[in-house]
Amino acid sequence: MTRPDGGRGGTARGSAPRTGPRHPGIGATVGRVALALALAFGGLAAGAGYWQVIRSADLSSSPDDAAVIAASRRVARGDITDRDGVRLAWSVLDSNGEPYRKYSSRSISGVIGYASRAFGSAGLERSYDAQLTGVAAADPVQDLVRKFRTEPSDPQAIRTTLAAELQQAAVAALGSDRGAVVMLDPRTGEVLVLASTPIFDASAIADPQTSTATFAALQADADLPLLPRATQGRYVPGSVFKIVTAIAALGSGAVTAATTFPEQPGAEKAGLLVGGYRVRDGHHPATGSTALDLIGATEVSCNIWYALAGLQTGGDALASWAAKLGFGEPIPFDIRTATSQVTNGGGTFGGGFSDAVELANASYGQAETVVTPLQMALVASTIANNGILMRPHLVQAFIGKAGTVSVNPEVWRRVLPADLAGEIAAAMKQAVEGRLGRQFTTGARVSGMTVAGKSGTAELGGTGEPNSWFIGFAPADDPQIAIAVIVEQGGRGAERAAPIAGKLLAVWRSWAGR
Amino acid sequence: MDGTIVAIWMLRLLFLAGLYAFLWAVVRVLLRDLRAAALEPGAELGRLLVLESPGGEPEVGAGFSLDAVTTLGRDVNATILLDDEFVSTMHAALTYRGRVWYLEDLGSTNGSFVNGSPVEGTAPLAFGDELQFGNVRLRLERPRR
Amino acid sequence: MTGSQPTGVPRGAGLRLPRPRFRPRELGLLAIVATVLAVGSASLAATRALRGEADPAASAGFLADGSGLLSFIGGLLAAHVLLVLSGRRTDQVLLPTVGMLGGISLLLMERLPQSLAGGLGLGRTQLVWLLASVALVGVIGAVVRSDAWLRLYKYSWAAVGVGILLVTFVFGHDVNGQRLTLSVGPVSGQPSELIKILLVVFLAGYLSENRPLLIEESSRVGPLRLPPIPYLAPMIAMWAIALSIVVVQKDLGAALLFFAVFLLLLYIATARVSFVVIGIMALLLGGAFLYQLLPHVRVRVDIWLDPFATASGNGYQVVQALHAFARGGLLGTGLGGGLPTIGGVLPIPALHTDFPFAALGEELGLVGILGILGLYLVVIERGLRIAASAADDFRAILAAGLSLVIGVQAFIIAAGNLKLIPLTGITLPFISYGGSSLLASGVIVGLLIALSDRGRDLPAVAESGPGRVQRMPEHGAR
Repeated sequence: MTRPDGGRGGTARGSAPRTGPRHPGIGATVGRVALALALAFGGLAAGAGYWQVIRSADLSSSPDDAAVIAASRRVARGDITDRDGVRLAWSVLDSNGEPYRKYSSRSISGVIGYASRAFGSAGLERSYDAQLTGVAAADPVQDLVRKFRTEPSDPQAIRTTLAAELQQAAVAALGSDRGAVVMLDPRTGEVLVLASTPIFDASAIADPQTSTATFAALQADADLPLLPRATQGRYVPGSVFKIVTAIAALGSGAVTAATTFPEQPGAEKAGLLVGGYRVRDGHHPATGSTALDLIGATEVSCNIWYALAGLQTGGDALASWAAKLGFGEPIPFDIRTATSQVTNGGGTFGGGFSDAVELANASYGQAETVVTPLQMALVASTIANNGILMRPHLVQAFIGKAGTVSVNPEVWRRVLPADLAGEIAAAMKQAVEGRLGRQFTTGARVSGMTVAGKSGTAELGGTGEPNSWFIGFAPADDPQIAIAVIVEQGGRGAERAAPIAGKLLAVWRSWAGR
Repeated sequence: MDGTIVAIWMLRLLFLAGLYAFLWAVVRVLLRDLRAAALEPGAELGRLLVLESPGGEPEVGAGFSLDAVTTLGRDVNATILLDDEFVSTMHAALTYRGRVWYLEDLGSTNGSFVNGSPVEGTAPLAFGDELQFGNVRLRLERPRR
Repeated sequence: MTGSQPTGVPRGAGLRLPRPRFRPRELGLLAIVATVLAVGSASLAATRALRGEADPAASAGFLADGSGLLSFIGGLLAAHVLLVLSGRRTDQVLLPTVGMLGGISLLLMERLPQSLAGGLGLGRTQLVWLLASVALVGVIGAVVRSDAWLRLYKYSWAAVGVGILLVTFVFGHDVNGQRLTLSVGPVSGQPSELIKILLVVFLAGYLSENRPLLIEESSRVGPLRLPPIPYLAPMIAMWAIALSIVVVQKDLGAALLFFAVFLLLLYIATARVSFVVIGIMALLLGGAFLYQLLPHVRVRVDIWLDPFATASGNGYQVVQALHAFARGGLLGTGLGGGLPTIGGVLPIPALHTDFPFAALGEELGLVGILGILGLYLVVIERGLRIAASAADDFRAILAAGLSLVIGVQAFIIAAGNLKLIPLTGITLPFISYGGSSLLASGVIVGLLIALSDRGRDLPAVAESGPGRVQRMPEHGAR
């Protein structure tokens, strides 16, 4: 018998074995639901963390952000100047007292872009919308203070690394052709010229009176003037890509500067049989019977030698050394960049190549290889700077009322040992200054200064003129400027791009020596 | 200006800190409640609460902690003794099977009732149900925690 | 106590006031709430002063002198006193926790453009509803002792709920394309707020009554164990109600809330995962069907999948909310420091109803957001603990259902703000602007406090037993 519990008697417990399995009662199921809800709230916390920490910086300084928009309507954006303080962009007030943008020259349109009330922004104006309007300070401490003010306190001016004079010269040299020029200091990564043609009138887009008509006309233009070719144009590189192949071949140790291929002289006549396909090259009358080394092959731009070097290096190594130079992903830069590639990828041959034929062709810059002018300028810059690739940058300093925040040069990638870079530099010097090189790359030479470089003629297939390329640096013995020139369908590299490079290097020389 | 901004930053952080101070205080209360609950008698499967018992045995208001099988009747060997003239010697049994309580009438003379309805054979019960045997009324309650 | 009264109310007859029982923990927590809210108010006022927004006429008038906050804290204290006077051993955490949530709501509504609500202005209107809500918490928590009126008439309550729903379907007027609002004379409200409570009451009654049968019996269809066929009817009815709400009212949030709470309660009552799986499958099936059929559902889902694709069109509000979270960062912009206006207009028009979570994310940062999520978890934990220790199945399922309504609703809208699930226009309990929502939340928390009663006096015995209420010995020794 059981008496009531609570100290007055025993309990009814333990008298009989339990029947059936124990199932959870309400207490247990409630506990599980509580756990499930706690997990769901953990998911909320993770979601909040994602947006508020990981995506915080890019969303809150995006030109689509309400705070940025609100500021840009009220605030006169900061000036943009070139490296010497020459104003490139500034704000004026319209009749309602609302600010709009003016630009010094059409030559900077591809890099500075535009900022328009109606059509948003592009180029550097877009990248640094938040800084120019003062919504985001470059300095995190200033950023904390700024958040308390309705009016963004500090629209900042930007001093770029551009040289307005050189930029102007580059656009003039490209003339009426479509193309791009990139010039940068290989020692610091400072970009002096980032020219794209055709140019457009950014002031007309920014001016509320003319913006609609201007923008519509530019969008309809078949020459795509709004495309910043220097950073977002993707071109078949042709022979300028041989420098990438050389970097991969020497860097991986598969080939040395002295390596020769016995089959090369014969293959120049009959073509090189690769996987049942014949890689052909024009016969070089002066060197056709000798087995060339790196310098010789570069001087006469021998496709066969580079195809053999690429095959010896292997697809994996070529792709991974190209990746060290920035291929395969957008180059981290102040304005948006397109991705350069050595192959479409997906192949099984190694490095994403589909077979030996594609690798052989890619080794001298045909096949599925496409590059941006900026990327090729970085290739030249790497060789010029003893194998060290500096991070390219376009801004020297953000200048606000509260102070100036400078951008310092930094090493991006250590690509090659200095001795190997020196061997490739010697080959590039030979390609411009050598006895035979002069014939292949006429026009790149500058009197009183040695130039190193490589021209390229990128066959596009079909009947159109090839793209004309040149990459190089100068002075060859103490490089201070690297350059990449592309002229769309400009013919052979030596005919169009190399003379432009020569002309611009001469302009640079007098600019630098002032 | 800078002093003001520092002061505002202090206020902002103080507000956030206060929010967490509140949560901390709440969690302390919750933990104390949990400990208190753990001290109470544990794993019983259910409780019977005496609502009406004219015979005085069991006492009105008394609570019985139930185990898996509980018999009720006038017999002294019944788990719970019901001293009532209308209750049979072995009147009914409460069994816990699966997750459910069942009431089984053991062939009593006057029958067993759940919420006023007579039970034939075995009937499942829910917590809160009212049971009647003779004049004794009991309520099945959830186990205490 | 009664004997000392000079007027001599007869013992045990008529109105017998219970002995007050002090609630020190509640008082202590309320003191923290008052302090924190005062700091928040000072922070807001200072920020606005610095930004030169101290515009007395528009909004800051009753903010600057703190009278709004004072009256809210006064309301909380009044509810506290009411609960003390009731003399019951009820939960002491819920009132301060919802007080904190309501206070944060008040701080937010005071700093938004007051023109968002007509009449008194946004902050004052919200204050009135918050006070009414807190009053409901206090009164229901103090007065409601028997659940018989809920338990016995569950089908009537269900009928009332369905009736209100139908009336809304027919007579409700559309606001922003959703038929949610019902007007009776000068009073208008959103009936779905009331319906969700009625639904939980019905489900608690139905599930507790049929729990043994639902657990023990099942009919097999292929590999699935279904509930017994006759008991499927309410499930199908719930599913149909949820879908009809989506179709007719275009209210995805309420439908999702009803169905989720229903499934969770079904699991709590039966411990059968298979029921939940079937329910979720039915929901997905219905959802896929509606996606094909209804443009407004399609738009919501497409926005969710990639709001940035239509950042200046359909996805605008969602994208702006994400930007708001991003601007907040870790510590936030501070109260009053965020929410930029473009030409005097907030980028998110429905900020005060649909996106307060994003607004708080901006002004209080990730740290503040986590704290607010913690407050909701406290409400859920308390509610579910009340459920787990309730005296019987009805109360257990009722308490679980009520706390789940708060928890699931908070989750749905917060997750929608954060783009974790498609955005639905339901309110964030105790924070969103809106009378119906605040009153319903007040009723829910009031009922939870009433259900948490551990004062073990026995009303049934008191009625029938001879003489005074007998306290059980094991409960007296405490």
